[in-house]
Amino acid sequence: MLVTMFAASLLLFLLFELMPGDVALSELGPYSTPEQRDLWLLANGYDRPAIVRYFDWLGHFLIGQWGESRLFLVPVVRITWMRLENTAILGFWFFVFLIPLSLGMGVLAGMREGSWLDRAVSGICILTTSVPPFASTVLVSAVFVFHLHLLPGTSTMLDGFSYAQLVMPVLVLVLYDFGYIARITRAAMADVMAKPYIRAAILRGLPYRRIIFRHALRNALIAPFTLLMLHVNWLIAGVIVVEYFFAFKGFGSLILEASLGKDLYLLEACTMITVVMATLTQTISDLGYLALNPRMRPA
Amino acid sequence: MTVSREHPYLPQLRQQLGCGRIDRREFLRTATLLGVAAGTAYVMADLPAPARAQTNLPKGGKIRIGMHVQEIKDPQTISWVEPSNVLHSTVQYLTVTDQNNITHGELLEKWEASEDLKTWTLTIRKEAAWRSGRPFTADDAIWNIKRTLNPKTGSSVLGLMKGYMLEEYATGEQKDGKPVKSTRLWSDNAIEKVDDKTFRLNCKAAQLAVPEHLFHYPFFMLDPAENGTFKPGMNGTGPFEIVAYNVGQNAVVRASKSYWGKPPNLDEVEFIDLGTDSGALIAAMASGQVDGVYEVDFSELDAIKAIPDVVVHPVTTAQTAVARGKYDQKPFSDVRVRQALKLAIDQQKLIDIVFRGTGTIGEHHSVAPVHPEYAKLPMVGQDIPKARQLLAEAGFPDGIQLEIVCKPTPAWELASVTVMTEMWKAAGINVKINVMPPASFWEVWQKVPFGYTAWAHRPLGVMVLGLAYRSGVPWNESSYANPEFDDLLTQAEGILDPDKRRVVMAKLEQILQEDGPIVQPLWRVVQTGYHKRVKGFRMHPSQYIFLDELAVEKV
Repeated sequence: MLVTMFAASLLLFLLFELMPGDVALSELGPYSTPEQRDLWLLANGYDRPAIVRYFDWLGHFLIGQWGESRLFLVPVVRITWMRLENTAILGFWFFVFLIPLSLGMGVLAGMREGSWLDRAVSGICILTTSVPPFASTVLVSAVFVFHLHLLPGTSTMLDGFSYAQLVMPVLVLVLYDFGYIARITRAAMADVMAKPYIRAAILRGLPYRRIIFRHALRNALIAPFTLLMLHVNWLIAGVIVVEYFFAFKGFGSLILEASLGKDLYLLEACTMITVVMATLTQTISDLGYLALNPRMRPA
Repeated sequence: MTVSREHPYLPQLRQQLGCGRIDRREFLRTATLLGVAAGTAYVMADLPAPARAQTNLPKGGKIRIGMHVQEIKDPQTISWVEPSNVLHSTVQYLTVTDQNNITHGELLEKWEASEDLKTWTLTIRKEAAWRSGRPFTADDAIWNIKRTLNPKTGSSVLGLMKGYMLEEYATGEQKDGKPVKSTRLWSDNAIEKVDDKTFRLNCKAAQLAVPEHLFHYPFFMLDPAENGTFKPGMNGTGPFEIVAYNVGQNAVVRASKSYWGKPPNLDEVEFIDLGTDSGALIAAMASGQVDGVYEVDFSELDAIKAIPDVVVHPVTTAQTAVARGKYDQKPFSDVRVRQALKLAIDQQKLIDIVFRGTGTIGEHHSVAPVHPEYAKLPMVGQDIPKARQLLAEAGFPDGIQLEIVCKPTPAWELASVTVMTEMWKAAGINVKINVMPPASFWEVWQKVPFGYTAWAHRPLGVMVLGLAYRSGVPWNESSYANPEFDDLLTQAEGILDPDKRRVVMAKLEQILQEDGPIVQPLWRVVQTGYHKRVKGFRMHPSQYIFLDELAVEKV
């Protein structure tokens, strides 16, 4: 993890150096003169070589001094935590609806492959998943904001937390994602249901309910579980479209703003957090895999 | 208010108005430029003065405006109008150019220009004071002007005033083997204090637009004791106090009890950052999360009109965008290619497609019909056969391949470029569109061979030409260099009489139309939407919001 973080931060720093244009320009605007920009670079320590600045930043980063965001004029730590919290709230409600919905539908469809229920579920899943978030955001807000006047159009949460403002972002994310996971679950379930040990159980006259919950489910959930963990990762950075459209002040939009505004320290911090999250969820998913699959346990 | 000493040109101007050679609007513009207080000018022109702040508006209340809340480190280095809209509530300008393109004094009571337009005497309002109680003096104004003109500050005022207030000098230091150059006031006497409320600008060259320059967006008068730092609660001369400023979230300003002028109607205004997605603005309007927004893009116009109780406020501007080729680079160095690019464009069709018919036709010379010195020239419209013929003569009988650089936001820029490329195609000019993110675009806008650049509204035609097409000036993105043009422009900048200036302008416009590096399809109409309970709002051609004019009806 540490090696990945080091490599990522160095790469980002170097890329930043190669990116067209300089910080002074975005600071002083396109109408500043070259002399003014040079003076600004000098006054803010940007005249030193990139590698010196990198290790300066790294040293401070390691001892917890993440610097100040050039864009938001507040400590990087404060703004990243604030935004992470918001995305965590969004993510929590996303999973609260996603997990029962997608697993439930997937299991129902996979229990009897080829039944009308299976076909209906598969149809819905393919339909919702094929609408990308940038289209469904518009669709959802057209219905709930412009026609029904039911929900607030943006989710800035400036007057404190509001469930009403959370409905549309969560809805869009769930709509886009549940079909995918339900399809995977369905495939895994159908696969398990065709296994000889299930047929043996049926022939032995075990109750159907018990076969599903005791014998089939555990094996069928291995794949979806791994996938769900990976989705935590996806959520951190993948919600940019949704956060942007609903003006939700989350981590995804922070990454976007930091990179558009050339806020190097902020971007570095965001990247480091993303790397940590990725590694952590990988580990959790591996451990979960171990718990679900007895074959992976040490003898 | 009386004018202590009339500018020698004023009687003539009045006479021109009398015999109908100039219209009233033009009289008002030029008279106020010469230092006649706007109220007096309206009397001279025999017009009822529009109440800049209407008197019968409801008092109290709070409104919310959807607008990007950008970072502000130093009010004098901001480079966009959005931060100015928050700052202007709390710190003021010396002058203000209003929604009708007429410049008034804000902290200034009046100004007088010498006949050669080189000496400007500026008088501060007697009652003008800081909210802390101290009077606003000439020393304060001089401190601020000097601060913006110091290269270390990084204010874009410097580029604006460089030509007539500053000179270049070698600092004596070396960088990469070349002597380092910097700028300083051209004379010790360039800014001269007359008394506590009066000071003088002694310019190196004649300048007509000094009052307009004083309304440049970062040209705020700050309290010298605070030395340019920005923070909520900062001192200022304005009617509001900034209570909170959270970048990327919101900004709150509240009416101050210690304002020197007429107290504002509203108690509080909150600016809410809805990001840069125009869909979010509309959605917030529709669900009543905001009472108005900064600007509504054309693509969202139908959506905002469909929201009940929202009033759309449009204004015709001198905002534009030009497709310009580098004058000194092939193939744009060939006048026939430049001509062909212009002749392929059907301006009205572009306006119809991209702007739903709202906009004024551009004539490829960057002087707008709203400019006082605008001269009407014969129309240069679409002529595909001639464009093809010119291209063939220039050595491209089989057409030509080009690449144009533009940015995706605001949406109309890319849409215009797309429509133009289709029109160019008909003339055998195949243009590839290279869309760059705005931040990257502003790095290269002056360097790319062929680009589409937006230009802000400026009240005078000579200002636009002087900024963009004079040889060697910093913003000359097309590297246009034409000595004849430069001479005529200098001449025009010294002529006060709009009629006489128009004669020279006609020549300048013609040069640009025939020889110039730009394809200019249109002048924009900009608009925004406010809920109908918000009163007193008028759209400004540069999207400035004057919070002290607004009021809100109680529900």
